[in-house]
Amino acid sequence: MLGQTVVDYKLVISPKPTEFSEKYDFFGNTLTRFSIQEQHKKLKVTALSKIFRDHTLVPDIYKSTNGQAINLMDALVALKSQTIENLDVKQFMLESILIANISAEIRAYAEISFKPNRPIFEAAYELMQRIFNDFEFNPHVTNVATPIHEVMIKKKGVCQDFAQIAIACARSVGLPARYVSGYIETLPPPGKEKLVGTDASHAWFSLYIPTFGWVDFDPTNNQIPKNQHIIVAYGRDYYDVPPLKGVIYSSGKNKMKVAVDIRPAV
Amino acid sequence: MPFKSNTLFQNYFSAFKDYDEVLKPDMSINPKWEKVFNNFSKIGYNNLIAKQDEVNWLMEENGVTYNVYNDPNGMNRAWDLNIVPFVIHESEWETTIERGLKQRAELLNLILKDIYGKRELFKNGIVPQEVVFAHRGFLRQCDQIQYNTSKNLQIYSADLARGPDGRMWVVSDRSQAPSGMGYALENRYALNRVVPTIFENINVKHPLSFFNDLKQMLLDAVPQNKSNPNIVILTPGPHNETYFEHAYLGSFLGYPLVMGSDLVVRNGKLWLKTLKKLKQVDVVLRRVDDFFMDPLELREDSYLGVAGLLEVVREQQVAIVNPVGSGILENSGLIPFMNAICNYFFKEDLILPQIASWWCGQKKELDYVLNHLKDLVVKRIDRSNRENIFFCEFLDDAALAKLKKEITLAPYQFVAQEKISFSTAPNFVNGTLEPRKVLCRTFAIAKKDSYSIMPGGLVRVAAERENLFVSNQRGGISKDFWIVSDQLQNPLRNYSWDASSNNYVSDINDLSSNTAENLYWSGRYLSRALVTARYLRMVLNRMHQDQYSTRKSDSESLTILYKSITNITSTFPGFVGKGSEALLKNPLKEIISLITDEKRLGSLAQNMASFNNSYYSLRSLWSKDMWRVFDGIKKQWQKFNENDDFSINALSKFLDRIITRLIAFMALIEESILVNQGLLLYFIGLQTEQAMMHVEKCRAILVINYNEQVQYEILESLLNSSESLNIYRYSYRSYLSIENVTKLILLDKDYAKSLAYQVKRIEKDVSRLPYSEGANTITACKEKIMKAHTKMNSLHIETLLKLDEDALIRQNLDDTLAEISDLLHQTAMEISNTYFNHAYTQNQLTNQNFPQL
Repeated sequence: MLGQTVVDYKLVISPKPTEFSEKYDFFGNTLTRFSIQEQHKKLKVTALSKIFRDHTLVPDIYKSTNGQAINLMDALVALKSQTIENLDVKQFMLESILIANISAEIRAYAEISFKPNRPIFEAAYELMQRIFNDFEFNPHVTNVATPIHEVMIKKKGVCQDFAQIAIACARSVGLPARYVSGYIETLPPPGKEKLVGTDASHAWFSLYIPTFGWVDFDPTNNQIPKNQHIIVAYGRDYYDVPPLKGVIYSSGKNKMKVAVDIRPAV
Repeated sequence: MPFKSNTLFQNYFSAFKDYDEVLKPDMSINPKWEKVFNNFSKIGYNNLIAKQDEVNWLMEENGVTYNVYNDPNGMNRAWDLNIVPFVIHESEWETTIERGLKQRAELLNLILKDIYGKRELFKNGIVPQEVVFAHRGFLRQCDQIQYNTSKNLQIYSADLARGPDGRMWVVSDRSQAPSGMGYALENRYALNRVVPTIFENINVKHPLSFFNDLKQMLLDAVPQNKSNPNIVILTPGPHNETYFEHAYLGSFLGYPLVMGSDLVVRNGKLWLKTLKKLKQVDVVLRRVDDFFMDPLELREDSYLGVAGLLEVVREQQVAIVNPVGSGILENSGLIPFMNAICNYFFKEDLILPQIASWWCGQKKELDYVLNHLKDLVVKRIDRSNRENIFFCEFLDDAALAKLKKEITLAPYQFVAQEKISFSTAPNFVNGTLEPRKVLCRTFAIAKKDSYSIMPGGLVRVAAERENLFVSNQRGGISKDFWIVSDQLQNPLRNYSWDASSNNYVSDINDLSSNTAENLYWSGRYLSRALVTARYLRMVLNRMHQDQYSTRKSDSESLTILYKSITNITSTFPGFVGKGSEALLKNPLKEIISLITDEKRLGSLAQNMASFNNSYYSLRSLWSKDMWRVFDGIKKQWQKFNENDDFSINALSKFLDRIITRLIAFMALIEESILVNQGLLLYFIGLQTEQAMMHVEKCRAILVINYNEQVQYEILESLLNSSESLNIYRYSYRSYLSIENVTKLILLDKDYAKSLAYQVKRIEKDVSRLPYSEGANTITACKEKIMKAHTKMNSLHIETLLKLDEDALIRQNLDDTLAEISDLLHQTAMEISNTYFNHAYTQNQLTNQNFPQL
């Protein structure tokens, strides 16, 4: 992947899985399947990755006058041509499991920024800013199953809600947009030591700009992702790329805790 | 023509509107049908009515049913087969229909391979990718899976109807788990059995070689070379609309019928959970839809599939027929492109015509559809249910505007089709023939280099005369579908669907744990129902006698009996807890509730309802006689509820009838099912429940010391309630004494109704249950029941009946019975834990309960 290379990777699972396999999924993400057949009270999955991240290796939209200039009308025309690349990106224009039946409200919200003659990069950047300003970050209001229409009404949620709202907006005007699942590095206040586990799972969105390519936007932090953003997977929405999912056979309840730690490699 | 004067056709002509199968446009009779109607004429008008009744009766007798969802009366609705078949001559069948079906099956097979493979149809611009990518049936999880069968589409089914041009058209494609071939077969057998004369001088092709092809296809699908592969049929369960057919095919083809919970994935393979061990499964003929097949990768809230199954498929350790993901072909969005696809792959046109269709994902087509909406039928590409088909000519302006808006928001999800009036065929209704719309479901099975087509299929008839829409879901009528040949055909070998043909479980070790559990609970429910019914009947009879008695002891002993009912049936507070005084004044009300209240735990009605569920789950094991007796119980019950006479007399008579039938049913179970098929589990359930209730009876009656008269009366009642009074008199020839009664019903090792005998019997049966190799040979359940047995052996009548100091109660007896009761309950629990895999429920690791598309 441009701008991000895996130097080293290890997955530690306890108890030790009886079955284990790694394959690519439909979107090209690495998918690990495992099963544990012994009784256990605790399942621990640790992914240790050494990443070489250099966002300057990704084509920079600011260096592309054409990319910045392409407007919605041009983009829609460009997407019509039958190229192999278009075939691949056009699947991200369609509804997906969590981004379906896109409402008139979402479309109206999108059309404030997306206008036929306005460059779509500029519009998407504004959309990101508007979501950042209009929506309140609140981890207690939504969960992974909260429908986007509800998020749109409440204007509250977390990174994956904001990413999915943005994707719904882009698709509502006919543009391909995808969901990016990853991690974000948080920086300690100046002069302070960084604490363990303060980083987080994160999500943002990516818009396809015809003739240029995919451009990432992070509406939660109002910025274009750089080296603090580590990409894990791409999908149509959260449903395609949950970090961990599974089936357990038990008589009791279960809880999941997640911690992320990012630090410079030594 | 003899028909015009025929009373059968009296109203047929006036009702004739569109293209009819029998009447040609010039009002002459289609010669292909002449022989059929000649045979009908020979049978005669009155006989036809009688024969139709007989067909209905046979369908009900054979338990041929079709469940209708969301219909309280719909569970197990009898299958409706019309006596008039649907006829097509082999000249038409072979030259166009069969050829056309083979071509279409092969075409869809190639489309399926392409969609989940190279996707050249998109790359070459033959099909817009949105037709597939926007369809919820496109399962990205199934992308690039390789199969080692020569075809990916193993079973294909098409609904056909005759269009205005006289040709058979394809109305829709079925590719996931097409239903109907079992019903088609049973239709043929039923008609052949009831009215063999209508087949006279007509060479009807039979579908048996088609079913051989089906079996061969399943054998060919076995992924690893194996001499003795295991093939199972996966059903969503008894509540599924076509469950009858699943059981029927299981029985006819000789494969076990299993549910998702019977299967498990371990070490990269699929296994059937049997009582003894896990048994590898090689091929699954599934009747569960795509989405539900694997809760790990597909719908996470599904309990119908097996977690991890898709990975086993990817590794080619199991074959699913049809492969998961084949639902993508049930896609009306493909229809406008089918001819182009056919030319792309085969360089030829489609043989069978389709309905003119416009996919709204293209600008020109969308505009056309929006401008002609009123004349079109609109569908979503991935929905085929009635709620998602819009017959626009019947929509008002508001509904049309709403539909237009929906189409505009996601045009690629919609297809519009021309309205077509399909042909009608005669249906025998209330003694006359009526023209009704028909839809023919046809079936294809993959063969090495081609497809095998069932000669005929399942014909479904619109439920009402004017109805355009034909669907089983609404409860329709079916017809036998005849392909008539000029060549003489072999006669139909008779096959009668019965337990006798169900011999796939040859060894108790192979019994699926689900079946085992249902058998065990059948035993428990039946036993509980019988003991409860008998006890209540005994009390009712005592109440009846008491009406004419003024003796004080009578009323005292009756009160004891009322209270014992509550204890035995565990229906507290009842006659013993809070509010019991009021109930004791009007005991009949409580007894009626204990008989009829289905919602009350412990009531007879509730027990019967629970048994009902186990009964349907086990249906493929039961024989026809059992079905008949069971149906009789249901009918008695219905009549009783309708009668509304809840007098003591009526109640007791009703219980008499139920008891007789229950006993008949239980006797049939014992003679119809082999011990190795699971009868052992049934016996263990039966005996365990009987012993538990027996203990409760004795605790309620024998523990307290009553005066002699009362004692005598309740002892007599106790013996009566288990039909033991005669045995007592025969054995002891004496006045009823507590010592002798206790000896007989608790300690007698040879008397089948004594507790000692029952416990011994349970121990013997439990020790015959299989146990895993390497495990401790004394299973936990065996240990518990052995303890109970030892305890029973150690009892002495004198110590047992010793009175406490106040001479009020027999504490020793109560303690002993309590201990035995605990041990019996522990045995039951250990049986569940060891043999039935339901101790743990399937949960999601993280909450993934998403709205589904």
